[in-house]
Amino acid sequence: MPKEPETSLAEKTFVLEALKQNLRVDGRELHAFRDVQLIFGDDYGFVDVRLGKTRVLARISAEVTKPRSDRPFEGLFTISTELGPMASPAFEVGRPSELDHTISRILERSIRRSHALDAESLCIVTAQRVWSIRADVHFLSHDGSLLDASCIAVITALAHFRLPVVTVSGEDITIHDVEERVPVPLSILHWPICVTFSFFGDDENGETMYLLDATAQEEALRAGDMTITVNKNGEICQIAKSGGVAVEAEILMRCARLAAEKVKVIDKMIGDALREDELRRNKGNLDWLKEGRAENDR
Amino acid sequence: MEGLRNDGRRWNELRRIHCQLSTSGSSADGSAYVEQGFTKVLCTVTGPAEPGSRQRGRSDGATVVCEVYFAAFSGTDRIKRGRNDKKVQELQTAVQKTFASVILTHLLARSEIAISLHVLSQDGGTLAACINATTLALIDAGIPMADYVCACTAGQPAIGLGGGSGGGDDDEPDPYLDVNYLEESDIPSLTVATVGGGEKVAVVSMESRVRIERLEAMLAVGISGCARVREIMDKEVRRYGKEKLDGTGE
Repeated sequence: MPKEPETSLAEKTFVLEALKQNLRVDGRELHAFRDVQLIFGDDYGFVDVRLGKTRVLARISAEVTKPRSDRPFEGLFTISTELGPMASPAFEVGRPSELDHTISRILERSIRRSHALDAESLCIVTAQRVWSIRADVHFLSHDGSLLDASCIAVITALAHFRLPVVTVSGEDITIHDVEERVPVPLSILHWPICVTFSFFGDDENGETMYLLDATAQEEALRAGDMTITVNKNGEICQIAKSGGVAVEAEILMRCARLAAEKVKVIDKMIGDALREDELRRNKGNLDWLKEGRAENDR
Repeated sequence: MEGLRNDGRRWNELRRIHCQLSTSGSSADGSAYVEQGFTKVLCTVTGPAEPGSRQRGRSDGATVVCEVYFAAFSGTDRIKRGRNDKKVQELQTAVQKTFASVILTHLLARSEIAISLHVLSQDGGTLAACINATTLALIDAGIPMADYVCACTAGQPAIGLGGGSGGGDDDEPDPYLDVNYLEESDIPSLTVATVGGGEKVAVVSMESRVRIERLEAMLAVGISGCARVREIMDKEVRRYGKEKLDGTGE
């Protein structure tokens, strides 16, 4: 089983001592995110997110399937993540690590269970045909905050994706080609965004220090972590802190408020990037966007 | 029924907690049984022992492993949950990570502590009951820990109870302490675990959407619940210890 190389004692002391003086190795503020870069592919629903050296790719695909018998009105939505050796030599194919489980579990809790994607809008014919949306997340490079990056990637890709138009007449279902009818965006109810805090030892005031957007090195040295998922409306979709160093409740609240602030910035950034990409694709003509919507009237 | 929840409690009341130590006799190094209302969990701890496989042994401390079994009859529907079930794995990692940081592992290098949890009945707050049962079983096994880890749940109802529901005003209903299964499936709730019954939070887990302003109240109610759970557990540990010393037990 490959193992992550252990951080040397000198490195460890250096990073932790620097943190005590409110300094990070890459020169960032304690609570600053690295620059998020969003690069869209040629197709809709393909996003490459870069967060410093971390690089995550998300791809949305859709196919028509039968709905689950207990939920005949709802489309299907799955998120698949797999950490492979491409991200880091410590990850193996076919043997999911603990990080793998954590990422898929929290993404599931953040995006799927908070109903970010309106499952009922994916229905074509009740109990017979629905859209099945699949988000594939690929991790290309690992330098910390994989979860935050993959959440941004999935949400951006979902917002970027366009679903082919379907017309139903009697028994016949026609899926129109992209050339024939302009495809429509998915109906996304809110944009949940994950913010992971890394806890370190106490600072000079005896309070637990917390960092945002930790690099792989900082992640290896942290004493505990917590992921909060918030949307821009100030709703918490999910909190996960299992174990690690015990933290005062007051600090947790401070983290939650800070997360809400950061999410507003990230949310705006994603919105701007999407609009820019749309302008580039449409040469400035946005009119059709206002008409096309995936919500069908039921 | 003014001011009462569906099972007759007020907003800040815990369900009956019954705990017992050394329930499995000599088959495990430590064991405990916890009932929180109708949620029933049995925990056994084996260790510190030699690790099952070479890879698991760490030279700088003990490894903690955890396995959770859901009895097929534990829920309202008869469901068999296998080892790869997501819910089971989630619970396992949560318990394992929590106790890996509370047990003084550096004192027990190259050994393994195996926690096995059997959920016999689920009525809300399964994670909380699992954590409480594990704490007691670890105490029974005599494994050094920093302090008690006590867990409790809190929920946020949309509408207040009215009547004698305490200090909250009308548009901000009081959070419910220790939610049962009906409340858990109905209203947003979180599980919180503290170390030593103080303000130090080891675990927070919430899966439902809630306004950020309401989080503080929920956390505060949950933490106060943890302190009460600690008192109850501590009382039982002392009673059991006394019984052992007096020789009135087995």
